[in-house]
Amino acid sequence: MTDGLDRDLFRRIRDRVAVVGIGQLPFAKDIGRPISDTAVEAIQRALDDAGLEAEDVDGMSMLEMEKTHEVSIARRLGVRQLTWWDKISYGGGASSATLMHAAAAIASGLATTVVCHRARNRGAKTSRPWSQEKALVVDDKALHTPWGLIRPVDVIGMWAHRHMHEFGTKREHFGNVAIAARKHAQTNPAAMMRGRPLDMPTYLAGRVIGYPLTLYDCCLETDGALACVVTTVERARDLRQKPVLIHAVAQASGPNPVHLANYNNTKEMMTTAVFCAELLWRRSELQPKDMDCAQIYDAFTPLVVTGLEDYGFCRRGEGGPFTEGGRIEIGGELPVLTSGGGLSEAYVHGFNLLVEGVRQIRGTSVNQVPGCKATLVTGASGVATSAVVLRGE
Amino acid sequence: MARPPVFVQDPQPTHPDYPLPDVGDPVMRPFWDGAREGRLMQQRDVRTGAVVWPPKPLYWKGGGRLEWFEASGTGTVYTWVVGHEPFLPAFRHLLPHVMVVVELAEGPRIVGHMVHVTPDEMRFGMPVRVVFKRLTERVTLPVWEPDR
Repeated sequence: MTDGLDRDLFRRIRDRVAVVGIGQLPFAKDIGRPISDTAVEAIQRALDDAGLEAEDVDGMSMLEMEKTHEVSIARRLGVRQLTWWDKISYGGGASSATLMHAAAAIASGLATTVVCHRARNRGAKTSRPWSQEKALVVDDKALHTPWGLIRPVDVIGMWAHRHMHEFGTKREHFGNVAIAARKHAQTNPAAMMRGRPLDMPTYLAGRVIGYPLTLYDCCLETDGALACVVTTVERARDLRQKPVLIHAVAQASGPNPVHLANYNNTKEMMTTAVFCAELLWRRSELQPKDMDCAQIYDAFTPLVVTGLEDYGFCRRGEGGPFTEGGRIEIGGELPVLTSGGGLSEAYVHGFNLLVEGVRQIRGTSVNQVPGCKATLVTGASGVATSAVVLRGE
Repeated sequence: MARPPVFVQDPQPTHPDYPLPDVGDPVMRPFWDGAREGRLMQQRDVRTGAVVWPPKPLYWKGGGRLEWFEASGTGTVYTWVVGHEPFLPAFRHLLPHVMVVVELAEGPRIVGHMVHVTPDEMRFGMPVRVVFKRLTERVTLPVWEPDR
């Protein structure tokens, strides 16, 4: 597809669809309820926030890993009928894609009002997908799990370590990310890590999980449920909240993809985010310099360092130094993870980053960037991923 | 290339929950069959010689374009990580476990783990060569040792 045609097609989506409601349950180590129940309540809260009823909903978009079921949610909510629904794969790569798919469905007329959600219970140690790996490994996983390369921290650690070697990135740079996220969590009543600040000596003394990464490089494990309501911008103007426009969206697998352990997609071992960013900015009138803050997917701190490069906030190899001098903290040039992110608010496959992005555009974040007009929310890099640019009207 | 294959044994019997590969996978089978015989197999384009990894089905683009061949079994350390607790029970006796991405002499990067090395001996660009670790009667893993 030529650039021109791609841009032309994309005009049908750009700024035509808006996020009109957000909802979330308190995050917990053990929420004590199944996700089939927490998902419904998070969506109900998002509908209440928007001033919409379940009867207005005709579409549903969610993540595929750890399933919740469309018809069961629709029935419990009181949705009249679903005319469009969608499950998106690749875990943390998918959160921003829920908005992309919803926007595409609404712009094309397949649905009018879509609820996007993520509910997962992962606080318990036994609930982690990697710890359940056993028996016969099929398909792409056979390319890495038989050698023990299974924990996401190790898969991402391969990139991080190479980045340190190639560009001189230091552990302190990863530490800057962990500390910024933790700092932002201190003012967020919903954050799991509120009341537990982090400084560099503590970071550097962290227990090694998978050298070169330590405990503080890793996201939290959380039970959580969050939702967004999406509809046409015309409809959004009649609703309760300030519309948050979906300006640009992209989803990209990158070439020669392997889920997670994606080490042969380019000569340079670029992450999938490079390819997603290229599409995103090509479709977007706003560019990296126009972002007032960014929610960059942070399952592990190095993903933020590479994400800053991949999404064009600095050049390749400069992600480490970019984190210095408070640049990524509130009050800095580009605050990231303003709610605390997956590292310090909650790890819900990045859906909390989306909800925080919406709050920043509304002007209601606990760490509000003054006059925030546009923000970037990204999915996980390394896996087939997605990203979205949100803006105000 | 010419040294005879070296086989190694895990110090412990293979754990019942070890994530063993499906060696019957139609695409990957030549790789696992080769490993059992002490050969590191890779795939290449018949016409251009370009090495294809991960492998594709042989019917790719109508067939006749791809073939398997025995690689040199040498490469260099592109990157590595060292696993500590909490780790999967099947690998716990190997901790600290040095997992590696090897850049093969033929070009592709392949995931493996190291043997006969301590974590502090690891270096970027370090030459390594393949040895074969027998896990079960059906499954042999190509793993890597320093090429000293």
